[in-house]
Amino acid sequence: MIATPSAPEAASSLSLESLMSGYQQADEQAAATLIERVSPLLLRYFWVHAYHRGYAEDLLQETWMRIHKARPTYRRGSPVLPWIFAIARHTGLDYYRGARRVEVREMQVDPLPEVAAKPVDFAAGDAEPEMAELDAVLAHLPASQREVVVMLKVSGMTVEEVARATASSAGSVKQKAHRAYRKLREAFAQGARSK
Amino acid sequence: MKKDEIDKILDRAANRDLPQGLGRAAMARVQGTLLTDLRPVRPLAPPWVLTLGFLALFAALAVGGGWALGLHGIRVLSLGQRGSIFPLLLAAAWLAAVSGARAMRPASGAPLCWIALAFAVGVFPVLFSLIFSGYGTLNFVHEGVPCLVAGLCVAIPTGLACAWILRLGFVLNWSRSGLAAGVLSGLTGLGMLELHCPNLKAIHVMVWHVAVVVVSGLVGWAIGWMADRFRSGTAGESKLG
Repeated sequence: MIATPSAPEAASSLSLESLMSGYQQADEQAAATLIERVSPLLLRYFWVHAYHRGYAEDLLQETWMRIHKARPTYRRGSPVLPWIFAIARHTGLDYYRGARRVEVREMQVDPLPEVAAKPVDFAAGDAEPEMAELDAVLAHLPASQREVVVMLKVSGMTVEEVARATASSAGSVKQKAHRAYRKLREAFAQGARSK
Repeated sequence: MKKDEIDKILDRAANRDLPQGLGRAAMARVQGTLLTDLRPVRPLAPPWVLTLGFLALFAALAVGGGWALGLHGIRVLSLGQRGSIFPLLLAAAWLAAVSGARAMRPASGAPLCWIALAFAVGVFPVLFSLIFSGYGTLNFVHEGVPCLVAGLCVAIPTGLACAWILRLGFVLNWSRSGLAAGVLSGLTGLGMLELHCPNLKAIHVMVWHVAVVVVSGLVGWAIGWMADRFRSGTAGESKLG
């Protein structure tokens, strides 16, 4: 007798595109599997941006809320990751711009009270040197190039996927990546000379 | 530092574990919120249907506006003038309509709204200077302002209808969407003026008729920009609050 796979097992073997179609059709198992498979990618995307790091979990939640609202706009059969990352990218941008605006408006008159718990403990374990190294690399790049480098190298997307997610052309993505590498090489060569 | 050394740093970031437990609670909350009362949704219409929808709106309001105000302009245009103005108008409207349709769906391609605006602002004055004559400025403002006002009166309902269509999708960038809607609305006003206005002085058509597209496009962009600011403002406050 052949054992039939259970619903979670069947869902976990499906492609992201099939899971997204299932999510549109209110298939709870497909939606849960999609959330489990995509959330780590989103979390890593927010985590590697220094200005998002402390709020990566908030951004993850907000991104899923927007994905939920936007789910009728997903076209069946088209790649899911660019669609999701386009939403994630704008969620991050909105948070960044909004937070900057609030910070500019606020005048700090007293020292801020101690918060009960930090959003994320940066000093934990040996994670910091690696992140500091990454931050040092990315700090040399303007936002548009940084974004392309992160999506290509950290999120592991293809040039075409990054182009769709950032609403640009594949040529423009390649050019930004090329310029980013050139800028990084120049920056590190200058750093080495000054030492 | 060489390219492969930079790659190694990025690879390490890509492969390193995230802090223990990061995102687990958030994921559980997301699943708890989204999966309760999950309902099926009807997918948004394909891009070509949305593009046709925007174009139908453009044609209906331009012709309807011209009809309501009187089709005096098209009667005085020669066949050659009609044959050069209206196909170009349709091409510009198609660019703006594609841009509007793309704005409704995340990751649906490069935005064309700035190209549509540049096309309208660049091509039409050149075309009008080639097919019309007369650069006298007698009554220039007196004759021009009513055309600008009439064009904008047609552009406003078009813009409102475009905003309603845009809201059926999920707009990520309202500035670009506002520009696309504004340019399409302005082109509707321009189309109405070409059907209605019998003043064929080159300077009048080049300045006042094209101004409808420019004003409408910029107003659309400004409204979209404010919508983006409002959304990012609420996002930032909810984050810090």
